[in-house]
Amino acid sequence: MSDQSNQTTFWKSLNELAKNKEYEKYAEREFPENATEMTDQVSRRSFLRVMGASIALAGFASCRKPVQKILPYTKQPEDLVLGEPNFYATSMPFQDTVTGLLVENNEGRPTKLEGNDQHPASGGRTNIYNQAGILNLYDPDRSRSPRRNGESASKNDFVQFASEHFSDRNRNILFVSEANSSPTYNRVKENALQTFSNANWVTFEPFNDDNAIEGTNIAFGQRLRTVNHFDTADVVVSLNDDFMSPFGHKNSVENAYKLTSRRKVNNTDDSMSRIYSVENSFTSTGSYADHRLRLKTSEIEPFTYALASRLSESVSGLGAFNNVSNNFTNHEWVDKLAEDLLSNQGNSIVSLGFDHSSVAHAAVAAINSALNNAGNTVTYHEIPYYGEQHQTEAFLEAIEEIKAGVYDTVVLIGTNPAYSAPSDLDFEAALGNVDTKIHLSDYYDETSRIADWHLNRAHFLEAWGDGLSYTGQRSVIQPQILPLYDGLSEIEFLNTIVSGEESVGYDLVQETWSSYFSSNFNQNWETVLHDGVDPNSGFNSVSVSLRSGFASDIRPNLNAEPISGMEITIKPDATLFDGRFANNGWLQELPEPMTKITWDNVALMSPSTAESLGLPPEQSFKSNDVPTVRISAGDATIEIAAWVLPGHADNSITLTAGYGRNNLGRVADGVGVDVYPLRTSEAMFNQPASVERTGSVYEIACVQDHNNIEGRDMVREATLEEYRENPDFATYKSIHGYEVPGIKEAKAEGDDRGPISLFEEQYGPDYQPQWGMAIDLNACFGCGVCTIACQAENNIPVIGKREVGRRRIMHWIRTDRYFEGDRDNPKVYHQPVPCMHCEMAPCEQVCPVAATTHSEDGMNQMTYNRCIGTRYCANNCPFKVRRFNFFNYTKEYLTTGDDPEIIQMAMNPDVTVRFRGVIEKCSYCVQRVNSAKIKSKIATGSKKPEDGAVQTACQQACPANAITFGDLTDQNSVVSQHKQNDRNYVMLEEMNVRPRTSYLAKLRNTNSELA
Amino acid sequence: MAQIFPKWVDEAPKRILIGSIILLNAIVFGIWYFFSPEFTDVGYMPEQPVPFSHQVHVSQLGMDCQYCHTQVEESRHANIPATQTCMNCHSQIQTDAETLQPVRDSWETGEPIEWVRVHMLPDYAYFNHAAHVNVGVGCESCHGRVDRMEVVHQAEPLSMGWCLDCHREPEKHVRPVSEVTTMGYSVENQLEIGRELVAKHNINAPTYCQSCHY
Amino acid sequence: MSKTYEYVPEPALVKGNHDFKSLTALITDINMRPTPKGWYIAFGISNILLFVLLFSIGYLIWEGTGIWGLNAPAGWGWAIINFVWWVGIGHAGTLISAILFLFRQDWRTAINRFAEAMTIFAVMCAGIFPAIHVGRIWVIYWVFPLPNQMAMWPNFNSPLLWDVFAVSTYFTVSLLFWYVGLVPDLATIRDRIKSKMGKVLYGTFALGWRGSNRHWWNYEKSYMILAGLATPLVLSVHTIVSFDFAVSLIPGWHTTIFPPYFVAGAVFSGFAMVLTLMIIVRKIYGLEEIMTVDHIEKMNIIIMVTGSMVGFAYLMEFFVAWYSGVEYEKAIFILRATGPYAWAYWIMITCNVISPQVFWSKKLRRNVAFTFFISIVVNIGMWFERFVIAVTSLSTDFLPSSWGYYSPTFWDVITYVGTFGLFFTFFLLFLRFLPMVAVAEIKAILPQADPHNYDENGEYDPPKVEIPEPVKDSEQKG
Repeated sequence: MSDQSNQTTFWKSLNELAKNKEYEKYAEREFPENATEMTDQVSRRSFLRVMGASIALAGFASCRKPVQKILPYTKQPEDLVLGEPNFYATSMPFQDTVTGLLVENNEGRPTKLEGNDQHPASGGRTNIYNQAGILNLYDPDRSRSPRRNGESASKNDFVQFASEHFSDRNRNILFVSEANSSPTYNRVKENALQTFSNANWVTFEPFNDDNAIEGTNIAFGQRLRTVNHFDTADVVVSLNDDFMSPFGHKNSVENAYKLTSRRKVNNTDDSMSRIYSVENSFTSTGSYADHRLRLKTSEIEPFTYALASRLSESVSGLGAFNNVSNNFTNHEWVDKLAEDLLSNQGNSIVSLGFDHSSVAHAAVAAINSALNNAGNTVTYHEIPYYGEQHQTEAFLEAIEEIKAGVYDTVVLIGTNPAYSAPSDLDFEAALGNVDTKIHLSDYYDETSRIADWHLNRAHFLEAWGDGLSYTGQRSVIQPQILPLYDGLSEIEFLNTIVSGEESVGYDLVQETWSSYFSSNFNQNWETVLHDGVDPNSGFNSVSVSLRSGFASDIRPNLNAEPISGMEITIKPDATLFDGRFANNGWLQELPEPMTKITWDNVALMSPSTAESLGLPPEQSFKSNDVPTVRISAGDATIEIAAWVLPGHADNSITLTAGYGRNNLGRVADGVGVDVYPLRTSEAMFNQPASVERTGSVYEIACVQDHNNIEGRDMVREATLEEYRENPDFATYKSIHGYEVPGIKEAKAEGDDRGPISLFEEQYGPDYQPQWGMAIDLNACFGCGVCTIACQAENNIPVIGKREVGRRRIMHWIRTDRYFEGDRDNPKVYHQPVPCMHCEMAPCEQVCPVAATTHSEDGMNQMTYNRCIGTRYCANNCPFKVRRFNFFNYTKEYLTTGDDPEIIQMAMNPDVTVRFRGVIEKCSYCVQRVNSAKIKSKIATGSKKPEDGAVQTACQQACPANAITFGDLTDQNSVVSQHKQNDRNYVMLEEMNVRPRTSYLAKLRNTNSELA
Repeated sequence: MAQIFPKWVDEAPKRILIGSIILLNAIVFGIWYFFSPEFTDVGYMPEQPVPFSHQVHVSQLGMDCQYCHTQVEESRHANIPATQTCMNCHSQIQTDAETLQPVRDSWETGEPIEWVRVHMLPDYAYFNHAAHVNVGVGCESCHGRVDRMEVVHQAEPLSMGWCLDCHREPEKHVRPVSEVTTMGYSVENQLEIGRELVAKHNINAPTYCQSCHY
Repeated sequence: MSKTYEYVPEPALVKGNHDFKSLTALITDINMRPTPKGWYIAFGISNILLFVLLFSIGYLIWEGTGIWGLNAPAGWGWAIINFVWWVGIGHAGTLISAILFLFRQDWRTAINRFAEAMTIFAVMCAGIFPAIHVGRIWVIYWVFPLPNQMAMWPNFNSPLLWDVFAVSTYFTVSLLFWYVGLVPDLATIRDRIKSKMGKVLYGTFALGWRGSNRHWWNYEKSYMILAGLATPLVLSVHTIVSFDFAVSLIPGWHTTIFPPYFVAGAVFSGFAMVLTLMIIVRKIYGLEEIMTVDHIEKMNIIIMVTGSMVGFAYLMEFFVAWYSGVEYEKAIFILRATGPYAWAYWIMITCNVISPQVFWSKKLRRNVAFTFFISIVVNIGMWFERFVIAVTSLSTDFLPSSWGYYSPTFWDVITYVGTFGLFFTFFLLFLRFLPMVAVAEIKAILPQADPHNYDENGEYDPPKVEIPEPVKDSEQKG
């Protein structure tokens, strides 16, 4: 390779100073959190570093400069220009869906994942899991070799074993697989089932959409996938369905960009869809909704039936629900929702959270078909690979069979039941009855430990594969790099078992796809590889009608009673999902959208519930210590920190899974509490529980200590009506009643750029573009993908729980979350805050060494290598967007693992990694800006790239299209348009710092009768 | 009472004062000069695994820079040629030259040749070859008379101040794009031509920090 | 029958009937007699603290600024607080020696010498903090306008840069001023000391002083000039220190009242520190007759006045915040008094505003023990003033989302404690080896120095006037 990784070599050479010593140290560490290194005592490492340094000095004494080598190719690859990244299409599998991605590939080294705009499930956008996928690839803790009974073995050993073991075709084999939509995988699966006559195949996902699919079976007599077309709906009713969040819905990206596309308001004539949310915990979707009602989880279904019953009075097809009566029959919301739904028949959507019972899903399906939404805003699709049975039930039965000793071999693919299976199954013990247990997984995890064979799995960027999007578009997964640890893809693994010989993923995938293209395969194949998706594919949508006998079947199940006392609800975690992302530092350190907690899971409860448990109704501002509670359900008990979330339903506690791992990896181990023990096959989702305070406390690292907006005008909001009456509602004048001080004087002097100022104004020369950003608060729902995208693009280190707890988070773009109003039913605002790139930046005035100054193209530039670290700029930044390297974070981060080079490969070669003692902050992705300018300069001679040629990482990732960025000197650029929008405003206008980043005020399309 | 000090001591304070002032300035200017790349880096001439002579290839054989450094116009890097490039000719000529053994090894084994980097910018300084050669900054301007180098050495300080000299007054240095790879290019009316070229390519060499540092 | 007086002279500044000789002996013998045990003990303790300082600085530079309690909203903490506090203390010396000198306040002679010494050592302690609080101390020379290959200058807009120049200038001038004042006294010791070693050392620094008329003439002139130079510096240095805050736009910092308010505060704390030290020193070294209760009273009056000025400034801040109508200004001052840092705020108010008011009572301001107590209280109060200013404004500024609580770590604390080691190490050396009272100057205020007190034969014959006893408070009331 040539000297491509300019920016990283520096660090490599630093590591080399004391590398061997670093090895020992990291090997010893159980908890990788960098903070543990930074105890306030002289740690052993410091001592080693002294040694390291002295060695280095000895080295430097001899030569003037460390010698750098350049290693050119022996044969220059055709399509590769050194220093110019290539982009390839691929897709990321998640459960049984895939999201189309474009991979930025620097000299054979994937460094960044972006959305693929030709792919329906992505639309060019991504979610946090997609963005963080790249870090999983370079995770030094991924399992690196197959293991036989815990002893490391070779791939060949396994192939040999497989060929012998599976040569007996009559074995009683149980395949337990994660959900997987891959046509090739399912083709090989069919082979397997034919080859092994006594084989059984079950799918296990701790969180899945089985109930939703079963629901359609009850309602329509077919197992169908429900697809909500939010871009066509005027009224959306979400019943405890967090469909915008990646952990709430597996098609979150498409949902988010389609829903928000109906919420873009450019002028008073534009309309918006209206969103109602009825939910237990406070979710992103709930905070985005125009109206929100908090109910206990166990009250959601009765509420649904009450709603159905009310609708049945006006529309046919809901006879089953006639005069069903429960506590909600006369609930105000039932009336109002019914009215609004009825007046929007055919263009409304009622959606229910996956985890709710199949009966409830059947009810919702019936409602949608009765409202004539089915076929319009809601469509139902056949899923070819989905079996004839409720998958989780099938899994439960299979476990019973294992206990009965039916199987001699169990093959577990991807899934990790030993960790996540319902606790009452006692999966571990059950597996004891099986002679041969084979497990394929990314990590050497809980299940691997009890398996006879562990196979290390290839990351999706390492192996060929394919998959279907939520709506069934066939997509290819093409590898970007050879397997770092020589892992097997699930396809290769499964085929090895069937064929008894090592298999090549590429051939298997091509074999599958050859059947899709009747003629000229190669050309079509090339096209698909290029686009990443086969556009003329997708699940067949079926027109549905209620099954006869639906009424009689469902009627008896409609009198479900809410849980009277305290209930708990177990959900996948916002950042770790079911635990599969537990060893991903970016996700661990990403603040949870509503609580802003990092590195932990907590028991969420309402303020009143907290008080009733004798806990303070809000977190302390001064201390990170949070009281813990003891939660007992069934015969399991856990102790976990109690966190007050205003707007959460009373007498209800929400827990998230995925934490409390041991020996999984340096990042995951010892973080948070495992809540799976509370989860039984009877109560997978929601159950009564007894809760008491323990009296002890636990330290939580939360990035936002003050949640009240204090009546300040950082976030500006109006209802759609108010906006139409007064389009200027967001201006300083209409909020404060008077113009910004100094504006009149400025106008008098013929300066319309802003208030009068003492300072020289800095505007660049005409040949330069002037960059600016606008963030639409009406689109943002606080998912935090911008933060991860930024972290991936700009080499931002992970600093660990303790440092975050000390409020030293390094994220360049954060999402502020404010609660306002009544603590039981607060309004929530999400506000992404990058650097404002003020035209008259206060930080620039005070830096003694001119390390932060203004660029000709109107950016507030931070020159790391000039910074001496007085932190004066950070103090003087009214938006507090500047971050300081209190320790050598990047080095700590880049030397995690036994061979630091691996994680270093994740670094973006275009961005300097920052060293200790310097300030850093959002740069408007200057590396992208500059390369675009250079290209434009070479091509056209102008330094102004065309609009859209530069996208910042946050903008590109945002599923809600909330962020626009571009050249303000171009009146037609999208960002200029946005800045001319009535709702455009800047924070702290009266400070006259003239931020280049502005906001579009939030709108809520409220129902006047409910307000 | 006996004198404590000899007479010359009377002069001491004055001398000490003046001496220290001189010393202080000497230190500042000493560091300024002797610790700057102009003194420390210029002339850096590491030994290369293959004694490749630009002098022979450029002056005698008249090869163009871009025959080997192919991507300089499109990439930030002026790539070091692949072994393949060497073998284009050396599979025919000097096929058994002792000095070319490493090249042949590399070609057979596929192991890259480990060239030693001569022009080292700090990692926090971004430089883009394409941006320069496409507006008429000659190779020579930064790399010196490579055509006369038996072994390549660093000819210019490559210090920030040195970069700025040209960025502030490009007209003194730019040449027609066609002349970029010319060695020993010089014209009497450089300023005149320079100004025209600056206008022609509307060169506005940036001098703000993040055109190079980010 | 009551007498009538032509004039009532000031009570004698030096008590006891001292003449030149006895004064010289009283002061310089301290430096010449063998070192007392107590001094060694004190010096040992200070040295230990000094090493604590050095170690904590070493570890800081090794590990990074992160060992301190600083965080995202609070980029400045104890380091800057201590800096401002020490600089403030460093004000008294030059004020006493320069300004009081220009105003012909003869009583200054008793205390100016070691007040100046204190100043110099305090400024040394202060100077440490701006240097070590930066993230990359190894490139701190970039703040100096030196020629370099980067063709870069520092940013002359930055108050931090002004600070560098202000403080270093102040230090240099104070040092010079102090040294010039020392010269005649060094010569005195040179002449009185027995040991050869001593003669050489004191002789070297006495710069060959012979006390000739010409020497005195030069001395007086240069002293006067330096006093003139130092006087504006007294005001400028803390004014510029206050700019570090006032020039920024953080609520509670961005106010024009800061310069005068900081200077007043500085004099306030400076005098308090002088008192603290003086009261100990005069006791131990038996200088009660030179540093008299009258001196203490005068200084207490200054403390009372400056204390009231500071108190007034606190009130004005509130008024201006309200009057400005800026919501963030209003919010921060309410938060100071009621918010998470209310405890610090009320300590500050108690120590700085309330405590000095007791000095309205003549009895208390002439009470040595009580004065000592108050002087300590005032210094604590002034430390908290800087704490309140620096920390509260940062931790609760514009965007509520970025509010965060700041608390120091072990390392913050011992670095601060360590600076006392530095301070007292130097101060003890000063007490041991240099005359702690300006001998030459104080002699000039003896009646014997007044030519009017000699008869035509040149015999010492002061006019016989009865000096009334100070009137008792009780009688005043009557």
